[in-house]
Formats: sequence, C-alpha cells, structure tokens
Amino acid sequence: MSDTKGPEISRRKFLSGVGTAAVGTAALVAPGVNIEAASSKKAPRWVMVMDLRKCIGCRACTVACKSENDVSLGRFRAVIQEKTMGTFPNTKKAFLPLMCNHCEGNKEDGIPPCIKACPEYPGERAKFKTSNGKTIRYRKGATYKRPDGLVLIDKEKCIGCGKCIDACPYGVRSFDPFVKAGGDPSKQAVDKCDMCAHRVDNGVEPSCVNTCQGRARIFGDLNDPDSEVSKLVKAYDLAKADNVLLPEEGTDPHVFYIDPDNILKTLYTQRKKGKLDHFVDQMP
Amino acid sequence: MTKLNRRNFMKFAAGSGITMASGLGASQSAFAGSIKMQAGGRDFSPITKKERQAIPTACWQCVTRDSMIGYVEDGRLVKLEGHPDSIRTLGKLCAKGQAGVNQVYFPDRILYPMLRAGKRGEHKWKRISWDEALDLIASKLKPLRDAGTPELFMYQYGRHKASQAATMYDFMGAYGTKTIGNHTSVCEAAKWVGQESLWGGMYDNWDYDKTDYVVIFGSNQFETHTNHIPTSQRLIRAKVDRGVPLYVFDVRLTNTAAKADQWVPINVGQDGLVMLSMCNVIMNEGLYRKDHFKFMRVTEDYHATDEQKIAAVKKNVAKYTPEFAEKHSGVPADTIRKIARGFAKANSACLVTYRGTVMHYHGADQERAAMLLSAITNNLDRPGGRVMGVGAGWKHPSSPKAKVHKGLDVNDGFPDEAAYPTHHVSHQVLPMIKDGHAGRPKVYWWSCYNPGFINGDNKELQSILQDESLMPFLITSTIVYDESSQFADLILPDVTYLERWDWEDMVSANQIAEFYIRQPLVKPLGESRCQGDVWPELAKRIGFELAYTSKEDFVRQSCEMTPGVREAGGFEYMKKHGVWHDPDAKPNYGFYEAKVDVSGDGIILDEKTGVYWNWKKAGAASEAEAKKNGYLGTKGAKGAYVAQDIGGTAYLAYPPKTKFTKAGYLDFYSDNFAKKGLPAFPTYTPIPEHQKMAEDELNLTTYKVAVHTHSRTAHCKWLTEIKHDNPGWINTKTAEARGIKNGDKIRVYNDLGEITTTAYVTEGIIPGVIAISHHFGRKHSGVYGSGKRSPLPGEAAADPDVKNIWWNKHGTHPNAIIPNSSDPISGTQRWMDTVVRVAKA
Repeated sequence: MSDTKGPEISRRKFLSGVGTAAVGTAALVAPGVNIEAASSKKAPRWVMVMDLRKCIGCRACTVACKSENDVSLGRFRAVIQEKTMGTFPNTKKAFLPLMCNHCEGNKEDGIPPCIKACPEYPGERAKFKTSNGKTIRYRKGATYKRPDGLVLIDKEKCIGCGKCIDACPYGVRSFDPFVKAGGDPSKQAVDKCDMCAHRVDNGVEPSCVNTCQGRARIFGDLNDPDSEVSKLVKAYDLAKADNVLLPEEGTDPHVFYIDPDNILKTLYTQRKKGKLDHFVDQMP
Repeated sequence: MTKLNRRNFMKFAAGSGITMASGLGASQSAFAGSIKMQAGGRDFSPITKKERQAIPTACWQCVTRDSMIGYVEDGRLVKLEGHPDSIRTLGKLCAKGQAGVNQVYFPDRILYPMLRAGKRGEHKWKRISWDEALDLIASKLKPLRDAGTPELFMYQYGRHKASQAATMYDFMGAYGTKTIGNHTSVCEAAKWVGQESLWGGMYDNWDYDKTDYVVIFGSNQFETHTNHIPTSQRLIRAKVDRGVPLYVFDVRLTNTAAKADQWVPINVGQDGLVMLSMCNVIMNEGLYRKDHFKFMRVTEDYHATDEQKIAAVKKNVAKYTPEFAEKHSGVPADTIRKIARGFAKANSACLVTYRGTVMHYHGADQERAAMLLSAITNNLDRPGGRVMGVGAGWKHPSSPKAKVHKGLDVNDGFPDEAAYPTHHVSHQVLPMIKDGHAGRPKVYWWSCYNPGFINGDNKELQSILQDESLMPFLITSTIVYDESSQFADLILPDVTYLERWDWEDMVSANQIAEFYIRQPLVKPLGESRCQGDVWPELAKRIGFELAYTSKEDFVRQSCEMTPGVREAGGFEYMKKHGVWHDPDAKPNYGFYEAKVDVSGDGIILDEKTGVYWNWKKAGAASEAEAKKNGYLGTKGAKGAYVAQDIGGTAYLAYPPKTKFTKAGYLDFYSDNFAKKGLPAFPTYTPIPEHQKMAEDELNLTTYKVAVHTHSRTAHCKWLTEIKHDNPGWINTKTAEARGIKNGDKIRVYNDLGEITTTAYVTEGIIPGVIAISHHFGRKHSGVYGSGKRSPLPGEAAADPDVKNIWWNKHGTHPNAIIPNSSDPISGTQRWMDTVVRVAKA
C-alpha cells in the first residue's frame, strides 16, 4: 500500500520456517463449524462476522483497538486493507478489515499453528468455568486457546522467541515494545488481538465492534444457535471456505466474512515471509 | 446483541454485577447462550482487569461533537467511545474521536503561559505565570475600552460552538468589541448563504432512516462531515439493510463513492449544472410533484398560480438538457436521466451537497440548484428528505452589555468582494488588516484557529502575523505550537476539550433535539486553563463583572435555566447522564405547513408579497405608513414577519430568519440576487478561471480523509500513523501525458508558487484533475505532526511512543498555491477553482 517506509515492525527478528504449522493439504478445508453439534457444548465459541457490505473504511476500529489496548506505534492488532480496482470510470474501491482469526486449528489436533509453534505450549493446566457451573479443563502456554475459542497470549510466560509471529499465516502477531517477555526479560513479549477478552469476560463487546458505524463487525457466540452470529453464519452459509481467509492453510479461522463482492479473493494482501508490513493500516 | 437505549443503559451499568455474576471467575468466564453482550458503556483495563471509571462527555475533534463516554484509569484518560444513550450517535465514535486521547497527552502540548523573548518567529520564549499573563492582557485591553475604542481588540476563532462560543460572545459583548472573526468562509459559507436566500435558515440534514433514495454531490459522508457519525452510520445501514439506492457524484473515488451503487465522476465545478439538468429531465417528463410549488416563488410575481410556476421552472431549466450537461460535466446524459428519474420517482429522496459543490465561483447558486431539485420533488423537510436540522435550544446567563459596542469592518471582505457575506469572509481578515483601509486592531487574539495554515496563500498570512508594524500585540490560546502561534507575543495554554465544561447542541439525525454536555475527564494538565474560566478573571482585571464565575458555573446555570433539562434534574442529571432528550418529542417535519393565527394586534397583510407582518413590532410610525411603505419597504419588517398568505391560508411557510429580507416563499426567484446583478433563478455560471485553461493545465482540488480534521489532529499519533503523507491523486491518462509514474516526485505549480509531492496514479479520479488532501505539510505541530519537537520549555508527561515513530514523511500543504479568492455571492473561499500545472520533479 502506497509509498511509506515500512515501520520498525518488519525489521524485527523473525525465525525462518521453523515450527510453521501450515498444513499441506491441497484441498480447501472448510472451517469446522457445526452449529448443531456445537450448541450442545457448555462453553461459548466467540467469533466475529465481518459484513463487508457495511465496512466503509472509516478506521474507527483501528483506532479503537489502539486506544483500548495501548498498542504502540509501528504495529497494529486490527487493520483495514483497501484497494482500488478496475478502469476509469468503472473503478471500484473495497475495504477489508483484518484481525486475529482466533483459529480452531487443523482437524487432526485442533491446535492453531501459532500455538503449535510456541515452545511454552502446552504449559500449566487450567480450568474454564462455564455459565452453568461446569468445568472444562485445558492447557495454557505462552500462547494458547481457551475453551471459548479465544487464542490468547500470556506475556508472563512468553519467552519472546517470535516463533508464533512467524507461524501465523495471517501475520497478525508482533513484538510489543512496551512489554518485556516474562519468560525471558531480555526480549519483548508477543502481542496480538485477544478479542478484547478483558471486556468480553465482563459481558461487553470488543472495542472495535462497539464503535463500528455500519455494524459491519458482529461479535457473538457461535455455540448459541439464537445468537446473531449463528444466524448470520447460517443465513449466509459462512462456514464455507470462501468466507474465511486462507482456508488452504487448514487453520479453521473463526472470523467470517459476508462477502458478496468477492473481496477476500481480489483484495487481501497476504504477509510476505518474514514481513508484517501487510498489517500496517495506511491510506493512499 | 442488546440494543441499549436511554432507559436501560444506566440501569444495566448499575445492575451489571448481578447480570454478570454467572460464570465470572477471577480472570475467565463463559456465558454461552445465557447472556446478551453489552455494546458499550463500560470498559475494563486489559492489564489489571479492573473496571475503568466511566464519565459521559462530548467530542470536539470536529464540529459533529458526538456525545461520548470517557474512561479513566488512575486519573489518566485511556479510552473514548460513543455514548450508548445518545439518539444522535447511537454509541458510535469515529477514528478521530477515539484519538481524542492523544490531544491530552501528546508530548509537545503547551502547558504554561509563554511570553515571546526574541523577534516574532524566532521561537524564543519565556515561561510566565497566569497572573502575569492576565495582567499583561488587561494592560492592553483596558486602555482601549476606556478610550472608547473597544473595536481595536479583535478576537478570531476557528472552532467555537455552543457554550464555548456563548461565553466568548458574552465576554466580548460586556467588553464592547464587535470585531469578532470566525472561519466559516473556508468551511462552507456558500452553502449556508444559498440556503438562507431560500428557506430563510440553514443547516440541512438528511433523513436517512426513512429515505428511499440518496444522491450525493461533492460530499464524502463516510469519511468526514459536519454531522459525520450521526449521518454516515445511518446512510450505510439504509444502503445495506434497506437497499436504498446511493449515487455519488465526485471528482474522486472517495470511500463514500466506493460504497455507492455507482460512482459518477464529474468535472470540477459542474455539480449545479447536473442538478439543473436533473430538474430539466424531471420537469420535461412530468415527474415533478406539485405539492411544494405553492411554497415556491419562481418569478417576480408573488401571486403566480402553481401552473404558472411549473411553466416558469420548465422554461428556466430548458437549456440544461442532459446533453448540454454532459458536454461540460463529463457525466453521460443517460446517467443524468437515470438518476433524475430514480430521484423523482422515489417516495422520498435526499439530495446531499457539500464543499465539492459549493467552494466555487457562484458556489451559493449551486446550493440553490440543490434546493430547487429537492423542492420540485417535494423532498424538503419531510420524512426521508432534505430536512432542516434540529438541535438543542439552550438558555444561558448573559452579562450586562458594554455602553460602547463597536467593530472594525474587517470581517466581510474587501469592498464589493461579496454580495451577501452573511457568514463573513474570514480568509480575508488578515489581508484586510494588512491593507489597513478598514482599520487595524491593536490587539489580535485567536483561539482554536490556525490562520497561517488553514487559509489560502497561507505563507502570506503568516507574514502578516509576523509584521509587528501591522498589529502590535498578538495573543493566542492553543494547545499546540503551530504555524500561527509561532508569531504570537503571548501564548496561553488552552485546555483540551477533554478537560473542560460545555453544553452542546449539534443537530440530530432523527429530527429530535438532543441536549448534551461536555465535562472534564481529567484535571487540566500543567497550567492549562479553559477560556471560559479566563473570561471572568480578565473581566475583573479590566473592571467589569460577568454573569458567571467559571465555565462550570455557566454550564450549571444553563442547565437550571433550560426547560426540559431543568425538569429532568438539571446540572446533576446532566453530569451523571451526559445526554437528555424529550421522551415525548415527535420528529420535527414540515414546519412550513404550520397554520398561523393572524388576528393579533398590529398584524396586517402586505398586498404585494402576501406576507402577514406586525407593523407595531416592526416599529413603523403608523398602520397607514406601514401599508404605504409595505413589508419590503419598511426597515425592521423582516423581524416582524408573521405568515405567508397562500391561497387564502396563512402559513408559517419559510420565514426570513437570516439577513435576507424576503417573503415567506422559497425564493427561487430572488430579488436579493437580482438587485445585485446575480442570477435571480438558479443558473449555471461557468467558473471564469476554468474557461481560459490552457491544454496542459489541471484543476487542483483538496479534500479530507477519514482520520484527520483539517488542522487540529496532526499531533494525534494514532491518526498520523495511519495517514501522514498526501500524495497527489492523478488519473492514469493525465499522468501518462506528463510522463509521470506512480510514486514519482512531482511539482505542482502556478503563479502563486510551487509545491512538491509524490504522484498517486489511480483510476479513482477523473482526468484533468490533481487532488491533494489539505491536512499535511505541517511546519510546526509537535513531533508527531511535523517530525520535530516544539521549541517551548515544559512538556507533557513523556510519551514512550515517541521512539516508535516510524514514518519520516509529513506531506505538503496545497494552500500555499491556492489564492484567497471569494465567491462573489457568498464570500466563500474558492478552494476548488484553482488551476495548476503538474510536472515530474
């Protein structure tokens, strides 16, 4: 995008290839969404639906995220990509909001590639209490997936190795210059979108959702068949591979796009290996 | 998701402990299927997980002034979001609004009074106390007042609204100066002048919640607007949820055009012509609605029948065939026909215009064309159409006026520059002061304003500020060292809007007034002080008293004086809730249809115009004399307007509430315009400069992006990180003809000067134009805005993010090559008429 020099973000140390979890399946793997089965579980499954028809490229989400999470300059936890396409006067411009996909992980082990790459995973055992008092046991790590589907980072446990940054095919992770890695204070901790878990855990929507003008961002529980996200997933058949980013990676992303204009295919600028400048929000 | 409303928000927040109890662990929880998420109104620290203190307040980044909630953690403002109870914003806040946090804590913020210690522009400053500063100001202002020349004190503001403006005007009235300048001519004055000449008031709003069709000319609603958040969210939802057709005419593929059913590229300055051509189609094809013609005046004759009016409109727009319009505008005739038919046939339709339409030669007349199109399709002030904005009407305390009350004639442009500068000619204030014929202020004080950046030919304006022989004492109230404050003699550290009190009144998008307040989220940093707190102090030193002791006191008194707010609980209610609207209020539509009782004492019918007016209220000597001189011939009659007789019924119609003297009709035939040699009926008038353009010349247009205000956000790091450079948008073919490739360094030049930028070669702009946004090229705006620290001692708390700045471009400022040149009707600055050449550097 445009003409700016890349921020420091792209110059930080990246480990090559080691531990990347790209699943080499040739066929497109559809996200493992099954509303009927999911609804019988006890924990919620938090997801985001992005209605691209309603995204006006205003960047309220980008800045809300910066503010909510005190995100340092040079990196983002949420961005908009935009692109102008076509020939005058039939020119089009489209917008694509990006964030952590809070992936379910591949079919074999259900572990997203970032977590698989984390040397600190699996770590301590943890319990997740559901609303009806049941306990679900899971393993934490420096990065880990909670039973409600949120992929989180424990900066106290993080050793700042950067393997997860490299492993994420979407390139949504970066080093936080404000926070030392608890597991190795000579390094910086990794940071990324946590779906505003601190708000969600208190019953408040993520900060980017709350401020979205067109209500293009819809957050909710896919395990609740009555939730708006469940209804949208059903109504727009969002569990198809076409409606998530990089389905071929087999990561089973849980950010779904309502995309009648095929923006995912025509607009999405993927990360380049060892770079994160695709994840810097810029306007031409 | 739970849609919070006014009734349940506070209740929800208060009762949330109970609601959330299930499943809440120390750090994790789950509520599958059992809990509706709350959209906002509460926030928590991502680090400590503690709930943040929530305080309702209001934004000020742009004039939209959204009501919002500020979140404070350990005394520090950390987050802003839309107020969930607001009927205007519905809980939304834009990128700029959210970055308001940066206004408080940017590292170059001015926190102490500073006295100039070197020559003007040498950047040498000495910190002084507020006592010294106020004594110094009083020592300049008191002698002027005592000598009976209060007008030699001039105050000029950029953004002052609601109580910020009311307290200032109150002080100035008590002091005695009427030399008060604004900034509206660089904003959209032509739009208001065009509207005032017709419906006697101004500020159109668009009823997107109910509309069936939207056509936008030269307005980028999805990125920026004077009522941005209330309108843009409603428009995108109307478009997607209800399938409302949206057509956007613009030279540039804006984000608004990008989301439209069709972007209709249009040549610069041709919006009015296309609107008149749409009128042509609608009249010729019989698609007009007769309903509103009775409120219209379209010929000299005040008593014409609807049929005569229809024939006259038809005749007046006959020459604007779609083919004629295509030739000049570049819009295909068939496209004009298609959109005209759709617009006319829709049950209701909004016609939207803004700077792209009106910041031109005869810009005010372009707005009149927009009103004509709305009127003949019966889309004025009725559900789903172009409506008159409804805002809060606050009562407030007033101080006794000074005995001597005078002003210098520097606000309305040079002689004969503008026929009806009802919103002044602010870009010519400094040039007029330099000229000197209308006198020069001895003290010039500007606030929330950066004249040396935001006006045309801005470097010349800086040189006027720098010249001590023109104005001996310059004061500015500001939070940032900028292109203008660098030449001040005294800098006063203003508070940010997040540290002060105000009542607010911006119009609603649903035709129901919302009353709301702004309150401090944190204590003012350093020694920064609110202007509303400075006025009472200064008054005392000069020797008079104001009706309030502080801005908080002013707001408190206003809350207790204002009907509705007072009964709801006054100041204490507003502090707690931030917003109030009358729960029984019905949306305000069709004010012109109100029938008026004309039996009152002194009310007579003026035979010529059909206006009922009160000769006693007008101050006429007798009824006989009033009748002899008539409504139009009696000074003061305009203020005594009562009703318009239409077919034997007295309607409120369109009262002349502004400086235009007119009957109660929508004045599409305007005597006011005719007598000044301007087109009486909306007319296509080509822009003189564009008529004599050489083959290789281009139109220069400027614009705003979604993440910046014009000049007050460059130091906001979260915004400037996203957008800090402003390459020139140029069409692929236009670039090719000049050997320019994407990313090439280019020169943009004309007689006034030259700027350099890079080329953004795109299919998203019409050929023959270069478009450069007007936010950048800051010489001073702190480290985030200009790349260099401000040369002032004392600074806000260190910002660890400064070391993370990764961009080294700060753009270029197009105003350096745009002359200060006014629309001869309204005095508006003609931003979009500039002609340039572009070459590879």
